[in-house]
Amino acid sequence: MNTDVEDMLRQGMLRYAADLHAPAGMVREAQRRRGRRLALRLVTAGAALAACAAAVVAVVFAGLPGAHQNSSGPTPSVDTAYVTKRVASALSGAGLAEIAQMTVTSSGPVGTRTAKEWSYGDQWRSVVYSSPGQPVFEEGGASSTYTVVNYSARTWGRQRGVVGQTEPPSQQTGCVRAAAALSLLLRPGIGLSAGSPSASVVQLLRTAISCGTLAEAGQQRVDGIEATKLTSSSGSLISETIWVNPTTYLPVRVVIRAAAGSSVIQQAADITWLKPTARDQAALTVSIPAGFRQVPFGPTVMPISP
Amino acid sequence: MPADRSAAELESFLAERADHLLRTAALLAGSREAGEDLLQTAIERLLPRWRRFDGDPEGYLRRTLCNLAIDGSRRAGRWRLREGLLRTGLRPVPDAAGEVELRDALVRLLWKLPPRQRAVLVLRYWEQLTDAEAAEVLGCAEGTVKSAGSRGLARMRELADDWNDTAAAGGGWGTQL
Repeated sequence: MNTDVEDMLRQGMLRYAADLHAPAGMVREAQRRRGRRLALRLVTAGAALAACAAAVVAVVFAGLPGAHQNSSGPTPSVDTAYVTKRVASALSGAGLAEIAQMTVTSSGPVGTRTAKEWSYGDQWRSVVYSSPGQPVFEEGGASSTYTVVNYSARTWGRQRGVVGQTEPPSQQTGCVRAAAALSLLLRPGIGLSAGSPSASVVQLLRTAISCGTLAEAGQQRVDGIEATKLTSSSGSLISETIWVNPTTYLPVRVVIRAAAGSSVIQQAADITWLKPTARDQAALTVSIPAGFRQVPFGPTVMPISP
Repeated sequence: MPADRSAAELESFLAERADHLLRTAALLAGSREAGEDLLQTAIERLLPRWRRFDGDPEGYLRRTLCNLAIDGSRRAGRWRLREGLLRTGLRPVPDAAGEVELRDALVRLLWKLPPRQRAVLVLRYWEQLTDAEAAEVLGCAEGTVKSAGSRGLARMRELADDWNDTAAAGGGWGTQL
């Protein structure tokens, strides 16, 4: 009976499946669904940014000759404009002069995850750790190579010829994407790798800063320095805050907080800017632990959980 | 392997393999509609990785389908409901088409099994994978696949034996499986 049941099950499957045909346009439908989901995220982010943009417009309007000055309104935008200009300028100069080293911590209802990331020109590397501090996966590369190490499976893979000059989000579609740029920046192990391999930390920060949706909010002590704080409007569903070094004007900390129902999801990156010495440049290279097996590049090695 | 795969390439791959993948999805999900939805979701997951995807897209989609089917069923707790139906839905009714009906009934029974057992049987008997290959797709140990497969088949055999007994007495199962 055993074989009979197996054969009959197989035949039953064949009979059932014979008339099934996939509809046309599944890729287009997938693109449409994906676009809709991204748009939904952006609408949420956009709500916060729109409020912030409205505040900036109000500030600019209040500063025009003859305009009524609202004494209870936000601080005039002179400081904000000056600081953001200096930060944008510092980031422009940092591209090949500094290695951005980030410790990214994401916390939310499902726990906390930490990643360390390095970015320098088109080179980058990211290591994601489990909560006990063990590496889960590591990935990185430059414009033409992508390497990934899967610590759970003790495997690694490498793909050559990866090119894909991806523009940072807001350069194409406007400032509503500032939060998206920051969100991409702070997504450990996903943002830089799967999202925009060549949108470096510097580019993403410049995108977020240059949109004019952040307002200067005084000084605050971060890692022993009185950092200048730039933040989105309070009370938003998603708040973004960037602290910059008052001397170099390079960002030293970025925090995004999103309220989803009663939960709060927070992503924070502490950024250290390193001179590109040989030793620090070595941190940009993905290291393959001894005994790990090389496998063909694909789903079995990629740090994904379909 | 091109450095930058286009959406057109994905469309061309699906033009060849989407029917087969849909059949797998429908067997995993329990209906054509649910199968289409499952496959659509799997393609959506592949889409952002496609440009630099250098693996076997069919393998990736198959693995995603299985995981989505197992997770979806687990979340919804549907298999428990189905298991309940399974116990009460067997009604001997007169049936002249005998064996063909049994094959169809076995497929319907498949959808009432717990999701992992169902996925194992689909991978084994539809995709014709070995236990080791099925274990890789499901991301579990080969032993888990073996035990889930044997439990699923045991349930099938049990019901097929009932079928034979009932058929010998002049009846078969209804379509309520």
